[in-house]
Amino acid sequence: MNRAMTRALRVQWVPLLVATVVAGVVLAFTTQHFSGSYNIFEILQTAAVDAIIGLSQMVVLAVGDMSLAVGGIGGFVTIVVGNLYQVHHWPVAFAIIGGLVAGSACGLFNGLIVAKTGLSAFIVTLATGTGFTGIAYGITSAFPYPDVSSFLINLSKGVGFFPYLALVALVVSFLIGAALHWLPFGRLLLAMGGNREAATLSGLSRQRSTIIAHTLSGCLAGVAGIMYIGVLGTATPATGTDWLVVSFAVPIIGGTALVGGEASAFGCLVAAVVLATINDALIVLNISTYAVEMAEGLLIFAAVLAGRLGQVVQRSDEGHREGLEVARSLEQGPDVGQSLGGATVK
Amino acid sequence: MKVTVPAPKTPEAAPVEGRSRRRSASGHRGNFLAVGWAALARQVNVFGMLFLIAATWTIFGIAGSGFLGSFNMYSVGQIAARDAVLGMAQALLVVIARMNLGIGSIGAICASLLGYMMVDTSIPLPLQLLIVCVTAVLASLLMGWAELRTGLSSFIVTLAFLSIYGGGALLVTRGQSYTIMNSVINRLGSGTFLFGSICPLVPIAVICGVLLWFLYFRSSLGWKMLSVGANVRAARASGVNVSRVIMWSYGISGLLVAVAATMNCAYQLNVNAGVGADFLLPSFIAPVLGGVALVGGGVTVGGIMLAAVFYDSLQSGLTILNVPTYWTELAQGLVLLVAVVLNQLRMNRRGRSRRSAPTDATSVEKEEEVAVV
Repeated sequence: MNRAMTRALRVQWVPLLVATVVAGVVLAFTTQHFSGSYNIFEILQTAAVDAIIGLSQMVVLAVGDMSLAVGGIGGFVTIVVGNLYQVHHWPVAFAIIGGLVAGSACGLFNGLIVAKTGLSAFIVTLATGTGFTGIAYGITSAFPYPDVSSFLINLSKGVGFFPYLALVALVVSFLIGAALHWLPFGRLLLAMGGNREAATLSGLSRQRSTIIAHTLSGCLAGVAGIMYIGVLGTATPATGTDWLVVSFAVPIIGGTALVGGEASAFGCLVAAVVLATINDALIVLNISTYAVEMAEGLLIFAAVLAGRLGQVVQRSDEGHREGLEVARSLEQGPDVGQSLGGATVK
Repeated sequence: MKVTVPAPKTPEAAPVEGRSRRRSASGHRGNFLAVGWAALARQVNVFGMLFLIAATWTIFGIAGSGFLGSFNMYSVGQIAARDAVLGMAQALLVVIARMNLGIGSIGAICASLLGYMMVDTSIPLPLQLLIVCVTAVLASLLMGWAELRTGLSSFIVTLAFLSIYGGGALLVTRGQSYTIMNSVINRLGSGTFLFGSICPLVPIAVICGVLLWFLYFRSSLGWKMLSVGANVRAARASGVNVSRVIMWSYGISGLLVAVAATMNCAYQLNVNAGVGADFLLPSFIAPVLGGVALVGGGVTVGGIMLAAVFYDSLQSGLTILNVPTYWTELAQGLVLLVAVVLNQLRMNRRGRSRRSAPTDATSVEKEEEVAVV
């Protein structure tokens, strides 16, 4: 099997993307509305928000942790921004900055507790996530803030089929991807997620990486919350209550390892588009919206199985090549052991 | 079959070690006292919970009118019974170092199924309950099977099933709600049992708890579950069929979810596929507050039940004190957070003092001896 194809199959979202594109083309020809520019706009906009939600989870998964507080922080930030803008009459830019600071602070809080107590992030973020949602409901008495700045409303519009929010998602995911792969703190996160002991032995701080990851996650959850204000046209405390599964589905489908050490911001973008397309197709085909929720769960399995398939293909390919090399070295004669060793190391 | 496994590294294991050290230090009389002390210390979570319940009841009884009245106590019992069973359902997986996020969705399936059968069919009640239980067990076993087949963490498998089952229940029922009209079920949820202030659901929860206690402390299956949670490699090396133990845990967990969902139907007259939405948090709060370590290998059934009572007393007390319901979610989060952090700090301190304590060869030997017994 040729190398490019093997490499493509190794990336676990490729089979899903292919399936989605094929399904999309079929739908575009068989239904009226699917390929309309408004529909594509809708798909991309949903994908943009989902991608940021996924990124928020991805940075925590990168260090081998998890955060169940993504939705809680998103809802809380939504309310902070709405409150600052409507009640305290802050200019929208300051309100947004205030929201991001609040989100980062929530993340920092999570990170500090997880890092300092050594508790599992699962139970800590389950508790704090509920707490943040609770604060959002408490502040607002469950009433949304209807007064939304025109800036955020305009941000949720777009040019033709391309929403501005997709641009935001592209920029943010590029920044996150670049930071993870090139900046020292990003390398720290991946190193810590990849092999905790090796990273600790090389003098990296586990506490620091946990705190950074959770803070960044909180900030990104805030970005997603703010994006939602414009999309919904109102700042409601109910934002984020249904983010849990999406936040995990997007990075997992996108090829981020659950055990840490591997993260793909680009994979998140693709996965979000795949999810949003399937979501939209189910609605265009008049299948109940309830099916969307089901599809998310099934897709997690599909993504994992696709990843397995890729691994198997890769392994058989490698095995094949290894076999060839061994055969060649046998033909050549004496130092079989050495070339065998070389082959296995490779 | 009895299997011998190394002492699990759990809070429960610690007092056992303490006991042996005392014995070696101070003869026969000390031994007697030490055994008593160890028995008390092992129940530290139970006593802690009892103390907290007493404190909450005293405070709310003084500050809020009607908290200790029979009406309020009745409703606390009603909800605490359900939460205790949910906590047990979660504990079954926590014990084997796993978790079950699908509890709420399986609950939704059970509630909708029961509602559907009551409204639209004429199946007799015992058969209805049997069908609900079998469905829940099968749904739960499917999660276990998926976990074993894919080798994924239980978190991600049950998260996927959370949306598959939840979406499926909504898809099939189309969000329709059913009115539970069955004299037996209704009497269970809103009738009375003894003294007129105890809900019949309470004894059901207690029976579940007793059965669970027998499972863990008087059956070889429960012993295997504890050993799988404490050290899966040691368990496998001792001949425990780990996969089978995992499947049993999932199955029994599903059965308990069916019981909890039925209890929920018993006091909530209109049910739909949204029933399980609030199952997840209590299901974790009860075992975590009760002292079941999330790393697995230990369980305190009494702790789970008392934690459910404490948690629901707190909720009801806040309502009685006129705290707006919007803030109760924050209170739930805070209770869980404070509980886990305090518990962890206590464990850290204990771990530190144990490390610094001088250990000679004989005491180590005795520790092992006692631990194996």
